[in-house]
Amino acid sequence: MLDRALVAEVLAAARRKGGDFAEVFVEERSSTSIRLDDATVEELTTGADRGAGVRVTQGTTYGYAYSNRLDRDALLEAAAAASAALRGDAPGPVVDLSERLGPGTNRAERAADTVPAADKVAWLREVDEVARGVSAEVVQVTGIYFDSLQRRLIAASDGRWIDEERPRIRVVAQVVAKRGDVIQTGWDGPAACAGVEFLEAHPPRVTAERAARRAVTMLDSIPAPAGEMPVVVANGCGGVLFHEAVGHPLEADAVDKEASVYRGRVGERCASELIDGVDDATIPNGWGSYDFDDEGEPARRTELFREGVLQGFLQDRLRAAKMGVEPTGNGRRESYAHPPIVRMTNTNIQPGPEDPDEVIRSTARGVYVRGLGGGQVNPATGDFVFGVSEGYLIENGEVTTPVRGANLIGRAIEVMSSVDAVGSDFETWEGVCGKDGQGAPVGSGSPTLRIARITVGGTGA
Amino acid sequence: MPELGELVRSAVGAAEAGEQVEAYADEDRRTEVSALRGEIEGMTFAGSVGLGVRVIRDGRLGYAWAADPTLEEARETVRRARDNAALAEPDEHNGLPEPEASAPMPEIFREQSAAVRADDKVRMALDLERYTVSRDPRVTKVDLAQVGDAVSHVAIASTTGVDAAYARTDAWALVVTLAVDGDETQTGFSYTITRGLDALTWEPVADEAVDRAVAMLGAAKPATAKVPVVLDPFAASSFLGVLAGALNAENVLKGRSLFAEMVGQAVGSSVFTLVDDGRRLDGPGACPFDAEGLPSGRTELFTAGTLNGFLHDTYTARRSGRGQRSTGNAKRGGYRSAPGVGTSNFFVDAGPRSLDELLTDAEGGVLIRDVSGVHSGANPISGEFSVGATGLRIDGGAAGEPLREMTIASTIPEMLKGVAGVGSDLRFFSSVGTPSILIGEMTLAGV
Repeated sequence: MLDRALVAEVLAAARRKGGDFAEVFVEERSSTSIRLDDATVEELTTGADRGAGVRVTQGTTYGYAYSNRLDRDALLEAAAAASAALRGDAPGPVVDLSERLGPGTNRAERAADTVPAADKVAWLREVDEVARGVSAEVVQVTGIYFDSLQRRLIAASDGRWIDEERPRIRVVAQVVAKRGDVIQTGWDGPAACAGVEFLEAHPPRVTAERAARRAVTMLDSIPAPAGEMPVVVANGCGGVLFHEAVGHPLEADAVDKEASVYRGRVGERCASELIDGVDDATIPNGWGSYDFDDEGEPARRTELFREGVLQGFLQDRLRAAKMGVEPTGNGRRESYAHPPIVRMTNTNIQPGPEDPDEVIRSTARGVYVRGLGGGQVNPATGDFVFGVSEGYLIENGEVTTPVRGANLIGRAIEVMSSVDAVGSDFETWEGVCGKDGQGAPVGSGSPTLRIARITVGGTGA
Repeated sequence: MPELGELVRSAVGAAEAGEQVEAYADEDRRTEVSALRGEIEGMTFAGSVGLGVRVIRDGRLGYAWAADPTLEEARETVRRARDNAALAEPDEHNGLPEPEASAPMPEIFREQSAAVRADDKVRMALDLERYTVSRDPRVTKVDLAQVGDAVSHVAIASTTGVDAAYARTDAWALVVTLAVDGDETQTGFSYTITRGLDALTWEPVADEAVDRAVAMLGAAKPATAKVPVVLDPFAASSFLGVLAGALNAENVLKGRSLFAEMVGQAVGSSVFTLVDDGRRLDGPGACPFDAEGLPSGRTELFTAGTLNGFLHDTYTARRSGRGQRSTGNAKRGGYRSAPGVGTSNFFVDAGPRSLDELLTDAEGGVLIRDVSGVHSGANPISGEFSVGATGLRIDGGAAGEPLREMTIASTIPEMLKGVAGVGSDLRFFSSVGTPSILIGEMTLAGV
C-alpha cells in the first residue's frame, strides 16, 4: 500500500524525540452493506476507506495521530504530531523493515467481492420469506448483509512489516412478532472472517428461522421473576457472560490502572474449578481471529483460567513491557483512526463433562437463559449486568414458560465461583464489543452452565 | 485536498439526466489528551475528511462514500451510488428536499477554541488529573482523565439546489475516578461538554467524579422491593436513547415503536415535557441545518405528558402523508452513513423543583446515580426494561447509604406515567439532556 522507503522515513520522523518505538498502521477497507426492510431493499451502500495512523510510545505514554490522506506531507505531519507527546530530544533508530508472514488464519475460499450484489440481495429476500413463513404473527422482518475486506500494513521501528488481509461476512435477521398489544423481537446474526462459503455452513434461511422463532416464542412470555435464584445459561450465551464479566477485567490496561478486580490474583482460584477459560485468536476464520494483532504481534491462544485458577492477563505491547511479560497478541484497534488498546479476540469457556439436559433436570426452580442481549461490566468492581433476550422459567427440572424483561446482575468473581455444572455442548456467538469508543468484532463460546445463585432483575413476583 | 464546497459541488455536477444527487462532506479535526499518574497517558490527533453521496433514480436510492476523495474519486463515488440504486426497490417516497434557507448559527464555532495550542491542551489534561487526585485521600488515582476538542466543517449540495455549509467547535472533559477503602474499590464518572476549550471549566467535573466514587464506598445490596426512585441526570439520560428510538418516525412507520398509535394521548404524566431543539445553543447537538440541508427546528414531542408526534426527515414525512413536514431531523453518523431520522438536542424540559424537594418526596426510596445495560436490557418496541443500577438510599430527605448490585425494572409507558416530579437541574450529555426525575414507584431487585 505504501512504499517501504516512505514508511521508514515516517518512522524516523516519529522517533525524532526517541521513545520506545514508533509504528505506522495503514489501512484500506472496502465494504458492502445491504438492508432489506419490509421485503424492500432500503439501502445498498458501498464504502471505500483508507487512512494511516502513526504512534510513538514511551513507557505507557503514547502519542497518536492519524489522517485519511496518505501522501508524504500528511504522513510526516502525523508523525510530528504523534511525537509531540514525548519529552526526549535524542532521535531513536529505525531497524530495516522486513516482512513477516502469517499462517493465513482467515483465508476466504470465495471472496465476497467476486459475488454479484444481486446474489447478496437474494439471500436477504430468503431471510424475509423464511421468517414470515414461521408464523402469521411475524409482522416485521429486517435482513442485513455485510461484507468487508480490510487490508492492513503494520510497520514499526523494530523492523516489523506485516501486510494482512481480513475478509468479513455477516447476515443478520431481526424479526418483530405481534399478538394483540404484545410485541416481541428476535435476532440472529452469525459472522466470520471468511468469504461467502461461510453462508453454506450458516445459511441465511436458518438465521431467519431462528430469529423468527425467538420473536414468536417470546409472545407467550410472562414478566420475569426478580430476586436471587439458580440460572442455567445455554451453550453459546455463557461465552458472552464470560467475555463481559471476566474478560474485560483481565485486560492488562485495566489491571495496570489498578481498575481490575483480578489485579494481583494470578495463581489464585477466582472461579469454580469447573471453569477452563481461554482467549484464542488462532481459530481459523473466527470472527475475532487474525494472523497478527494490530500492533503486529502474532496471534495466540492465551489460557486465562485452568480449573478456576487465574493464569494471566491479556496484554498489548505497552502493558506487557511494563509488567515484564510477553505480549499476548491482544492489541487491537477499530481502524486507522484509533490507537490500539487491549482487547479480547475469541473468548471461550471450554466444554465440561455433563449432559446439558441433565443440568436442567437437576434444577428444581430457576431461569433458563437462551439469549443474552449484551451487557456491561465495571472492571474495577466486577459488577456486571446483562439483558436476557430469550429466557424461560425452570420448574421442577423442566423448561416451561418464557419470561421477558429479565436481566442478570452480579459480581464477576462471586458468579464465576458459583458455577456448579458445565455441559458438554459447546457453541459460539459473534458480536461487536465496545470499549473506549472503539468497536471490535469478538467471538465468544461456551457450553451450558449453571450458576447456583445469581440476581435476576425482573418485574414479576 | 479539495475544499469541501468544491468537493460536494463537483459530485453534484456528475449527476445524469433524470436523477437526483446529493453530496455531503465533512471534515473533522480533533485532539484528545489523557493524563495518568502525573504524565500524559495518551494524546491523539485526528484529521479526517470524507464524502457521502445519495443518488435517487426512478425512485430507487443508492449510497456510496469515500474517504478523502480527489475530485475524480468524488465523481466515481456518484457512479457507485448510481450502481447501488439500480439494485434497490423503487419507493415513491424517495426524494431530495427542496432547499429552505436556515438562519446561520455563528455561535457554534468558537475561533478561540480552534486556536488553542496542543501544549495548552496537554497542560489542561495534566492539571485535571492532578486536581482530581488531590481532593480526597481515598481517591489517589483515576481510570481516565481526558480533555478533548473537535473542530468540524460540514458542506452539503444537491441537484434540487441545496448548497449550505457550517463550522462547529466542541470541547469536553471526562473523568473516571477510583476510590479505594481497604479491599473495596468504587468508580465515579463525570463529564461535561461545551462549545469550546476556552469555555471549559473542568474543576466541577473532577469534584463530581470524586464525590460519586467516594459516596459508593461501603455499598450494600438492597432487598427486593417496590419503592419511589429519583433518577439523577446521569441515570435519567441513559433512557433517552430508548425514547429517541420510539419517537423516530421511521420506527413508527415500520411498526417498531411503542408510541405508534398514541399520538394525542396522555402517555406521560402532566409534568413531563420532551423536546428536540437543534437551535438550542447550549446543547452540544446544535446545528443550523440537518443532514439533508433542511433548517433545524424545535419539536415538542411530549407536552405535559401528551404525545404530539414524531421526529421526521424528508422520507418519513412524505411517507406519512397528511401534510407532515420534515422536522429537520435527518442525521448521519458522518459521511459513511446515509441520512436517517435522528435527534439534535433531545431533552426533558426542566421543571420547577430542586433535587432536595424531589428527595423529600421519595422518602424511603433510592436516588439512582448510574444505570447500566440499557442498550441490552430495554426492549425499544415493547418498552419493557430491566437495567443494572447503583445509587443511594433516601433517608430523612437526603441521599445516604450506598447501594449496588441491584436492578430497576418497569416499562417506558409506566415510567412516563409515573413521573411525579421534574428537577430544575437540566444538564446535557452529548446531545441528550435531562434534569433529575422522580418516579413514584419502580421495582428494585436485589437480594
